[in-house]
Amino acid sequence: MKRGILHAMAMTKMADVAHPTGVPPVFVARGLCKSYGTGDATVHALRDLDLDIMQGEFVVLLGPSGSGKSTLLNILGGLDAPTSGRAAWRDHELAGADEAALTAYRRDHVGFVFQFYNLIPSLTARENVELVAEIARDPMQPEEALALVGLSRRLDHFPGQLSGGEQQRVAVARAIVKRPDALLCDEPTGALDVETGKLVLSAIARANREVGATTVVITHNAAIAGMADRVLRMGGGRIVSIEANGNRCAPEELVW
Amino acid sequence: MRVLDRKVLRDVRALRGQVLTIALLIGAGVAVLVMSVSSFLSLREAQQTFYAESRFAEVSAEVKRAPRTLLSRIGEIPGVALTEARVSGEARVDWPGGEVPVAGRVLSLPANGEQPALNRLWLLAGRLPEPTRHDEAVIHAAFAEAWQVRPGDEIAVILNGRRERFRISGIAHSPEFVFTSRPGNPLPDDRGFLVLWVNEEGASRAFDMQGAFNEVVLTLAPGASEPEVIAELDLLLQPWGGRGAYGRRDQPSHRFLEDELAEQRTLAVTVPLVFFGIAAFLLNVVLGRMVEAQREQVAALKALGYPSFPIAAHYAKFVAVVCALGSVFGIAAGAWMGAGMLGNYRPFFRFPEMPYLLPARLPLLAAAASFAVALLGVLAALRRILRLPAAEGLRPPRPADFGGVTLGRWGRRVGARAKIPLRGLLGRPLRTLLTVLGIAMAVPMVVLGLFWWDAMDSMVELQFDRIERGDAFVALTDPRPSRAVREMARLPGVLAAEGHRIVPVRLRAAQRSRLLALTGLPEGAELRVPRDADLRPVPIPQQGLALSRRLAERLGVREGDSVQVEVLEGARRVHDLPVAALVEDIIGFSALMEIGALNRLMREDDLVSHVALRVDPQEVQALWQQLAERPRVAVTNVKAVWLRVFDEVIAGLVLTSAVTLTGFGVIIAVGVVYNSARVALQERGWEMASLRVLGFTRQEVARILLAELALAVLIAVPLGLVLAQWIVELILGARDNESFDVPAAISPATFVTAALVVLGAALASAVAVRRRIDRLDLVAALKARD
Repeated sequence: MKRGILHAMAMTKMADVAHPTGVPPVFVARGLCKSYGTGDATVHALRDLDLDIMQGEFVVLLGPSGSGKSTLLNILGGLDAPTSGRAAWRDHELAGADEAALTAYRRDHVGFVFQFYNLIPSLTARENVELVAEIARDPMQPEEALALVGLSRRLDHFPGQLSGGEQQRVAVARAIVKRPDALLCDEPTGALDVETGKLVLSAIARANREVGATTVVITHNAAIAGMADRVLRMGGGRIVSIEANGNRCAPEELVW
Repeated sequence: MRVLDRKVLRDVRALRGQVLTIALLIGAGVAVLVMSVSSFLSLREAQQTFYAESRFAEVSAEVKRAPRTLLSRIGEIPGVALTEARVSGEARVDWPGGEVPVAGRVLSLPANGEQPALNRLWLLAGRLPEPTRHDEAVIHAAFAEAWQVRPGDEIAVILNGRRERFRISGIAHSPEFVFTSRPGNPLPDDRGFLVLWVNEEGASRAFDMQGAFNEVVLTLAPGASEPEVIAELDLLLQPWGGRGAYGRRDQPSHRFLEDELAEQRTLAVTVPLVFFGIAAFLLNVVLGRMVEAQREQVAALKALGYPSFPIAAHYAKFVAVVCALGSVFGIAAGAWMGAGMLGNYRPFFRFPEMPYLLPARLPLLAAAASFAVALLGVLAALRRILRLPAAEGLRPPRPADFGGVTLGRWGRRVGARAKIPLRGLLGRPLRTLLTVLGIAMAVPMVVLGLFWWDAMDSMVELQFDRIERGDAFVALTDPRPSRAVREMARLPGVLAAEGHRIVPVRLRAAQRSRLLALTGLPEGAELRVPRDADLRPVPIPQQGLALSRRLAERLGVREGDSVQVEVLEGARRVHDLPVAALVEDIIGFSALMEIGALNRLMREDDLVSHVALRVDPQEVQALWQQLAERPRVAVTNVKAVWLRVFDEVIAGLVLTSAVTLTGFGVIIAVGVVYNSARVALQERGWEMASLRVLGFTRQEVARILLAELALAVLIAVPLGLVLAQWIVELILGARDNESFDVPAAISPATFVTAALVVLGAALASAVAVRRRIDRLDLVAALKARD
């Protein structure tokens, strides 16, 4: 029943309608459209999409390539601008914001985890985390962030000396060191094997829990859905289904 | 067109900034090569053509007075082909427009009114004097052009104290005066020196040479030995007061021309070598990195089944396109600069024709050389890529291992952001070294351009402020007792006068010999102060000779060695004298001794042949007038005029090369810095985009990326200044020029300017790359690296 209502809410336009729980959402998207190219070659990556994400929520975005999930994440992360519609983080309007405002938004509120880790090879694990701590307003100690992802013993290793999973956990530590409001992860386990992937996911889950960051994870891997509060399935630039997960399981219990 | 070839063109277009900067660098090397070789060849061709057409003599000799009958005996010397005897003499020209007395030289033409057998004149205008007219003269083109003199004009000349008027019948070039300068002046002063050719009878009468000659010139039969002919000729002339025969090497015009040709040859070899060296080295860095950046493409081609060779050929074609672009630019610029260079020579070297020659093989050779060097530069990178297994290339490269670069105690003091450039530099020491050296090489180029001003300044300073301290230098018609000096000292405007004795000698040491003027100076001479390498005055040795250091080097003698001095005047005795001191000289070579000792050597009284004067600037004009009217004064040289000529003639030459070389310096600096920054961005764009995603501003990211280069530039510039000093010394050391010694004195201003030019070029490159950082694609950072 609840699922049905949420589904209906997502599918219907309901500008500025208070959330049923009474708490305002942190991410709000209304009528979001994004298209690339012109004329016959136009690709509609997002079509008239509405979405609310609540404070501290763990959301998994599922969908095949070209479903629009990356585009959505890019807009939420302040990397890309919608063609039309509205997107907001609390009181920050993301649609139509200028470059400097988007940079400040990313710097102050968003933590990113990339599919290919994107660490600076000439900096150690600690220094990679420190790099972001240096520009954050109220960062935790880099060592603390690395402890959260279970890398206390690898502080002074360079990326070249770490495994893929370790590198990705450094990336998670880097993302959470600033105590972000939002943690955005683009295929964080895409380049990893199952066991390593689970370690990374538990690091993300722990960050979500202990830092309280609203977390959005993109994946093709449906198994990951088990650890989410909500799973949004995307297709053709729209959200095709929303599932609330009453029974979140720990990443270690996931099977894929 | 094959698909891979299309990729070559697209790569060129995509990398146009880098392609352009490297092409310019190659172009600069090609341009210098084309310029110096083509101007060398043109000058050489003009010389050889003119020498052949005018039958330029190979051996010349001056004698006090020899009977015409001696000529047939000279012709019988084995190895002599053609001979020509003539009468010559110094003259003073009464030319109203001249600021100082115009010096002149009179040469006789054959009595029959025909061209001489040797050293024939090339008439620009008019004709030779009629055989019966003794008041007609042909004058040299340099003077005619400087004063716009035309056939039919008249000119008054004081010959042997007698004033005579000549009507100008023609204007001519002569192989003996391709380079003309007043006696005692190393640079051409067209307005101050006149050569005129008159009928033999007129000249003989004027110089009291009826039935006699005082100069003989000759050519050698094929295979004849010049030294043997000279020795025989000296033997024949000695009883008649021979002053020593000499070959072309000692003929002033020819020697100056040869010096310039040698200079051009040095330039043609050294400077392009420096450029190609830098280009090869840069291509190694830049193209090497570019090929590296395309490792995935190479791996993909290999995975698709392409054999190694076409892939290597593909990159070779890319290099060929870059070289072709560079060569087109370089050949065009080189031809233009070469023609300009030849134009610069026109005031120095008077040839009837000096066409600009650019043999077709030269551009081809230059282009081929650039391609070979460029290929050499990318060879290592190509080999690395081709050896890469396809599968490895397709995987994203593992992060480079920076494990060894801990930064030590330093590391704790600097933030993570500062560590990125520091580790970037220290983690790849070889690459850092190459980049630093590449940028550093831009500094010497700019210094090489600007340094000539410093060189000219220090030449003038050394030669005219320190060594030759007189304001004017008077040559007497023949040696006079020293009271002539006291008489001259009493002239109005003369503040000090000092008598010198100059005697033609031949110096011999082992197999080497040299014809030059031996100068006798009074003890404690103040108007000519010989100096050592540290510019301290060197006292005139009481015994033995003081020689120019450069002359001693050429003769292969050191202080304390003995040289044979054959005096070519008077009794022509031969003496062995020790080299008692070495002195520095900028212009020409000098051999000095104490004037009393010289006169004793000559077994003559207290004689002087030249008087150096210090003059009150208020009274110069009146003084020149007085001197011009004194019968025993042959030539007066004035320092101020010399300096003006020096400025006029040299400044234009120096400016051209300064602008060119500074431009090349900028090309190198921009080439290295821009390419390094672009490659860094190619390699690290993904990292930088990631940082932007993580919330770093454009400025912060640019600072991180460019800090590494900024550090490299800051290390490179001081290094470049050291290299500059070293390269200048190297190039000057490779010069082979007897006329001038160029001191390797680089002024602080030149160093500062060179450093600023390179810093400016680096800054401009940084700005260009900064723009690209602003356009980084952030979304791409989320995806796999391309």
